[in-house]
Amino acid sequence: MNGPASIAVTHDADLVVVTIDGEIDLANASELEGEILGAVPNGAAGLVLDLGALTYLDSRGVRLLLSVAGRLGWRGQGFALAAPAESRCRRVLTLAGADGAFPSGSSVGDASALLRASLGTGNA
Amino acid sequence: MRMIGGRDRAELRSDLLPSLLLGLAYYLAARLSLELALVDENITPLWPPSGIALVGFLLFGSRLWPGVALAAFVVNLPISGSALAALVTAAGNTLAPIAAAVMLRRVGFRPQLDRLRDALAIVIAALASTTISATIGATTLLVSGAIAGDGYLAAWSVWWAGDAMGILVVAPVLFTLTTIREHPIPRGWKVLEAAVLAGLLLGICSMTLATDLPFYFLLFPVLGWAAWRFQQPGATPAALLVSGFATWAAVEGRGPFEGLGLSEQMFTLQSFNASVALTSFFFAAIVSERLRARRALEEAAAELEERVQARTAELSATNERLAEAQQLAHLGSWEWDVATGSVTWSEEMYRIHGMVADGEPMTFERAIDFAEIDERERIRANVERAIETRTETIPDLEYRIVRPDGDMRTLYGKARLVLADDGSIRRMVGTVEDVTVRRGLEREHRIAETLQQALLPQRLPHLVGIGLAARYVPAEEGSSAGGDWYDVLELPGGGVGLVIGDVAGHGSEAASVMGQVRMAVRAFSLEGHPPAIVVGLVHDLIRSLYDGEQMVTMLFVTVEPTTWEATVVNAGHPPPLVLDPAGGASFLEGPVGLPVGLNWSLPYEGSIARLRPGSVLVLFTDGLVDRRDVPVEEGLARLRTVAGELADRERDIEELCGSLILSLVPEDASDDVAVLAARLDPVGDRLSLRIPADPSKLASVRRNLARWLTGHDVPVTDADDIVLASSEACANAVEHAYGPGQGSVDLDAEIDGGTVIVVVTDAGSWREARVRDRGRGLALIEACMDRCDVTTGPTGTELRMRRRIRRPSV
Repeated sequence: MNGPASIAVTHDADLVVVTIDGEIDLANASELEGEILGAVPNGAAGLVLDLGALTYLDSRGVRLLLSVAGRLGWRGQGFALAAPAESRCRRVLTLAGADGAFPSGSSVGDASALLRASLGTGNA
Repeated sequence: MRMIGGRDRAELRSDLLPSLLLGLAYYLAARLSLELALVDENITPLWPPSGIALVGFLLFGSRLWPGVALAAFVVNLPISGSALAALVTAAGNTLAPIAAAVMLRRVGFRPQLDRLRDALAIVIAALASTTISATIGATTLLVSGAIAGDGYLAAWSVWWAGDAMGILVVAPVLFTLTTIREHPIPRGWKVLEAAVLAGLLLGICSMTLATDLPFYFLLFPVLGWAAWRFQQPGATPAALLVSGFATWAAVEGRGPFEGLGLSEQMFTLQSFNASVALTSFFFAAIVSERLRARRALEEAAAELEERVQARTAELSATNERLAEAQQLAHLGSWEWDVATGSVTWSEEMYRIHGMVADGEPMTFERAIDFAEIDERERIRANVERAIETRTETIPDLEYRIVRPDGDMRTLYGKARLVLADDGSIRRMVGTVEDVTVRRGLEREHRIAETLQQALLPQRLPHLVGIGLAARYVPAEEGSSAGGDWYDVLELPGGGVGLVIGDVAGHGSEAASVMGQVRMAVRAFSLEGHPPAIVVGLVHDLIRSLYDGEQMVTMLFVTVEPTTWEATVVNAGHPPPLVLDPAGGASFLEGPVGLPVGLNWSLPYEGSIARLRPGSVLVLFTDGLVDRRDVPVEEGLARLRTVAGELADRERDIEELCGSLILSLVPEDASDDVAVLAARLDPVGDRLSLRIPADPSKLASVRRNLARWLTGHDVPVTDADDIVLASSEACANAVEHAYGPGQGSVDLDAEIDGGTVIVVVTDAGSWREARVRDRGRGLALIEACMDRCDVTTGPTGTELRMRRRIRRPSV
């Protein structure tokens, strides 16, 4: 367990889907960052981070997302966020002015499609 | 002087007949022997009456002397010159055996003649005492003119030799006759042997007479044979036979005595008789003595053997009992002879060390090799210190050994040094107890207890709107720690979860199951599942982990602080008790599911109850209500009564928990007891929180603040932003104000009209942090709140935030 959050990893073809439940704050943000990055192998095209069920995200969580997106971009891998528009996560990103930093979809399906589109690897 | 009284006269009368009989025997023997007189008619070479008198005196007492004296007088009267001469001679004849008797008694003579000293005593007594009769007799003959002066010495010597031989040859036969019953009666071959012996003796005697050759030397081996084979009963008659024959031959002047002068005859006869007598009964006495010694030795040996056998049996029984006791107690004993180095181990000692006695001698070094290498020096030092200082008491030692099969055991050794009176070391003795199992159980108990304590919440969370208290009382000392537990959770939606439960079983396994259940409840709750689902998931987990063999009863109650709505899920557990603020107590009855973890699959149901602010919820395990011989219903009713009474006067729930346990749980409770009480407080106008500067406490701040905001009907969208800003402010304080684990952060909130004001204060100075991060945090706070002021002073930093609530139009 990562403090108040739990993490699950699934795969959708060449994409890795990481789902985080619970809360992300100062207590667990850096630990989670390591786990998220560790879940994405070099061969993966990109990562969809599903934060739809997240109940709390603070500025450290925002930094985590920016950091993960940056690291994956540097590795040549894509990143997209999956969270409903009205979710706490999207609200905080908006408040923090970080909502345009990476593609965000309201669901994992949306986010995956967005990601594939940006990577140019269309997939039905 | 002795007065002669009636009693003595009676004795005299009773002595008269034996005295006369003895006298008669004396007289007859005398008459017979006088037929063999060598000197005139009154000196004979063999005078049996002396022997008869001696035996009489020894056996019946010297007081029989009158009979002997009378007989001697009668015998001597016709052959003496005068009555006076006869009287004097008779006196001499009486005195000699009396003297011999006195001498023999003095030396403790035994008539059995089976000791060399008895044989020696009778020889000396015979030779010494008869000088009296010989001197008196010969002198009387001289005085009365029966012999001339030059014949005195010859007469004296014949008299002396005759009397002495009379004693030596006759007395032993008579003694033997009186003690004949002590000898075994000869049977079979022994009778034949006796007859052959007698025949041989007579044959040799006849041969002696028939030829000039000194055949009589051959008599000695035969006498020896008789003495050896038959001891005195054989030796004395044989000696009498041979002596009598020799005396007769001498008197008749036949055989070896033919043509000899008187004195030569006398010398030859007496020396021969003396040789015969001495040879036969000395030899017999020696043989008897050796036989007796051998018998005594055999008897002693037999007795010793018997005693050894008895003692061995006794010892082996004792040893067996000891071995059994040692085995039962896992207690071995040992003994170490420090000087020789030899060590003796009891049977159990070998068993404890995982081996059997193999015949190899045990030594201190060999024994110490069983100990673990690290332990050896400690043991050696302990022992050597005792030996050096000669201290009898040696400190006990607990140490580990490795058995030959590699098994490790823990032993508890006691030892003592045994010192001799002079302070020298004699040996060391000790016992060794195998405490492996006991130590294992103790460790198990300690682990279970530690685990139990570690798995229970270290402290209950500080919640706004809900006061909490809990008690856990382990079962009485000595019984295992149980699997009772309780927990309080802050639920993601702002609610509070109260959990209590009881894992079946005891010890560390129950404690570890308890830990798993507790964590499972937390994990599933965190995922936001409704309480009934959470319990169902816990059931599935425990059932699969323990194959449906682990049973757990539990109660999961969630409380929404805004509505005071409680959801109760019961898995085979006693129901929660509610104490109403208006007084009275009732159980929250609802559907009760089966205990968690068993092999079944049915969904759990939650029942909902709306509680009044100020109510107290009491969750407990069955240890609080279960009593032997008391039905469960009765126990529950008693709890309700006691709790109702307590609640009326006790508003402090800490005190309430303590009082409940004091009133309901006996001192020697055999089961664990856990009690968890929650008081549902009305929401206050102000909220004050203080948390340690620890990132993991931020979640608690958010829950409490959210509950408080919800309690004041602050809309969720506003509340979420206020919570985010407040948490950010606290995170900044935690991260920047202190080093790790230092200080605390205060949060104060109030509602002023339609505005929520939150103040976060720390006592440190914000440390240099990356501007971008702090900026992002502050930016977030500013985005969430209407206004935000930071005041940094010498005592710390204060962040004051306010937000107007945008109440939706209802």
